[in-house]
Amino acid sequence: MANFEEQVQESQKQVAEAQAKISELTGRIESARQKMNTGEDIAIDIENATLDEVHAHTELMNANIAELIMGLDDVTAAFSRDFDEMRSKTGWESFVGIFSPAKSDSMRQERMRTASIDDKLQDLIAKSDVITRLLQSQLDELTKQKEQVEANLSETLDEREATVGALESLRTEIKAMDPKIIELENKIAVEQDATARTRLETELAALNAKYNEMVQDEQVKLAKSQTLERYIEKGKTWIDSLQNQAATQMVLINKLQTDTKQRVVLYDALSKSLKTAQQQDVAHRINEIGVETDKEAQSSMAAIGAATNQRMADMMEAHEGHMVFAREVLEAKAKADERFTRRFQKIVEKHDKNLYGAE
Amino acid sequence: MPESDITDGRDAITGDRDHVGLDDTFASRRYFAKFRTITTHLARVAAQMRAEGDLNDTELKILTRHVAALGYSFRALSMKYLMAGRDTGRFFGVLEMDRVESGFPVFNELLVMANDAAQAARHLENMPTPEALKDEMLRKILGEREIPTKLQFALSQRLYYEELLRGDLFWARNDPQVAWLGDLDGRRRYLLHWAVYDSMVNLPTIYLMEVEDSGRRALPRDERRWPEVQAHLMGQSVGGLKLVTIARGFDADFDDLHPKRLRRFHLGPMYSHAYTQQSGPLREVLRDARAPEGQDWALAWTVEELESERVSEERAGWFSTVEREVFALDPFSGRGVDTGATRTERAIILPQRPYQVLEERRPPGFSGVRKFVVGAGGRVLSYR
Repeated sequence: MANFEEQVQESQKQVAEAQAKISELTGRIESARQKMNTGEDIAIDIENATLDEVHAHTELMNANIAELIMGLDDVTAAFSRDFDEMRSKTGWESFVGIFSPAKSDSMRQERMRTASIDDKLQDLIAKSDVITRLLQSQLDELTKQKEQVEANLSETLDEREATVGALESLRTEIKAMDPKIIELENKIAVEQDATARTRLETELAALNAKYNEMVQDEQVKLAKSQTLERYIEKGKTWIDSLQNQAATQMVLINKLQTDTKQRVVLYDALSKSLKTAQQQDVAHRINEIGVETDKEAQSSMAAIGAATNQRMADMMEAHEGHMVFAREVLEAKAKADERFTRRFQKIVEKHDKNLYGAE
Repeated sequence: MPESDITDGRDAITGDRDHVGLDDTFASRRYFAKFRTITTHLARVAAQMRAEGDLNDTELKILTRHVAALGYSFRALSMKYLMAGRDTGRFFGVLEMDRVESGFPVFNELLVMANDAAQAARHLENMPTPEALKDEMLRKILGEREIPTKLQFALSQRLYYEELLRGDLFWARNDPQVAWLGDLDGRRRYLLHWAVYDSMVNLPTIYLMEVEDSGRRALPRDERRWPEVQAHLMGQSVGGLKLVTIARGFDADFDDLHPKRLRRFHLGPMYSHAYTQQSGPLREVLRDARAPEGQDWALAWTVEELESERVSEERAGWFSTVEREVFALDPFSGRGVDTGATRTERAIILPQRPYQVLEERRPPGFSGVRKFVVGAGGRVLSYR
């Protein structure tokens, strides 16, 4: 399985890269926030924090992992080879069968008795565990980043709320100043006394200065609010994206765990039912012939008949149970598969083409 | 919501089948506590069987060793799933148990545990020590006034891996070991014993086989035969195979090994009104008992036994003959259920309160079953 190892290493590398990219982006958003606190212009920082690159990379990584999961299918192809071997005779056994069918049968039964797929099951579980860990580590990272950005964002939201509030009250104040200024101007227009007029004009100048200052302040606050808004937009998109990626990881983990669990159950049931069905009958017949030779022929024949019938019935029942069970398992698998396909249509297509077209 | 999508998938797998995940923290912990009680009682029941002469010292030792291993496995699993049902940031961290058939964890859990054990050392290397974790927990509780769920989870995982490293656990397959019993007519006699967690019924099964060895080299030191014997026995340890099938196959494949007696202990199923859904009278008994916490269970224990009746000579090749065993089968096998064994003995182990209800109701089918009643202070009473 060198292929599997290679693919795992490749995926590990990509997960590491994706994680670096993700945390870099979160870092950029963080540092923009710090800069904002010190009052620097952060417009450029926000523009730089583009998600496209990260997305491209995570997509690549997910594709790789999805392929890895599909690759497990190829690993499990070995199982069906085992099952075929259990069902049929080897070349040597068939050759021996030409001379002595009984010897050939006993050789095959001996092979059946030692056959075991436990090691392969363990191997399957180990491999799927490796992939699950890979996915889980990515999921952990995504969750961590999401929490970080969320905390950051809620702080920024508060700040924006405060800024907008200040802006609103500033605007009301400015509005409230208008009638005062008009009133003052009217007063100046009708004032005859020079001293009083000068005093009023000074007052008006002061009021105007204050008005201008407030308008300027409004501009600044407006700009800040807009920057914050843009920052929040960016953060929200980033959180959405993180959430989406986490969902993808969950689908992958779900698919993998369902698949593995069901494969283990199914393969195990199949190998054991093959074993049981093929041996039980023979062993009984042989031993019973030994027992029965002591007894009268007639009653023994009846007993064998009854025992065999009972056994056949048992076996059929057991087989039916396995079949029903297997069907349920397959249905559950179909569901998980469907979810998987919906998300990874392209990769599935590619994989299928690779597998069935090119080779 | 992506989360609901995921839970749908789980329901599809577990809901309509007989496997169920214990995703409630307290249900999961009580389940393990129950098994801790049961495994301690099992060892005492084995001792009681020794006192009554059903087992000899060697067999008692083997049986209690396997039971103890089972106890350790449950302890490890209880650590692994200590935080089940809490938000630990991990996925699907719940124990799956077979609720309709056996009441035991499903086979897959043991395979996964074996996989974890292979990597236990590597995991422990990167984990903080228990002291460091506890220290951090304190800081979290006092400093941030939060429940340190994630730290608790980390500590539970650490303890799980430590338990795995300690070893002596009951695995999905426990390869055969050999005990020398003595010599008889120039032949060596051995007791082979091994155990598997049967995947079809999700129950631990222990096998004991007495063999006579007419080979030239002692079996445990024979580099050719011993690995073959081990592989053969493990390959044949399937619950669906009858004892006579296993014994005959062994007899046929090894000319100089003669199986004289084969026993198989099925530990389980476990019945519990709260956890399992088996059909049958025991369920009603447990329901009516309304036993308090820790006493709502009954464990069935089945011993199948196959003995060799006599030996017949059979020709092998041109010049030599080999011995083949003829096994004594249950004389009722033609009529009733075909067991493929010489005798089958059933027993159930249960606490006093359910036993009282069982005696009062006397449901049919329990007259031939031996009852071990366990009580406080490790008392075991046996009733026929």
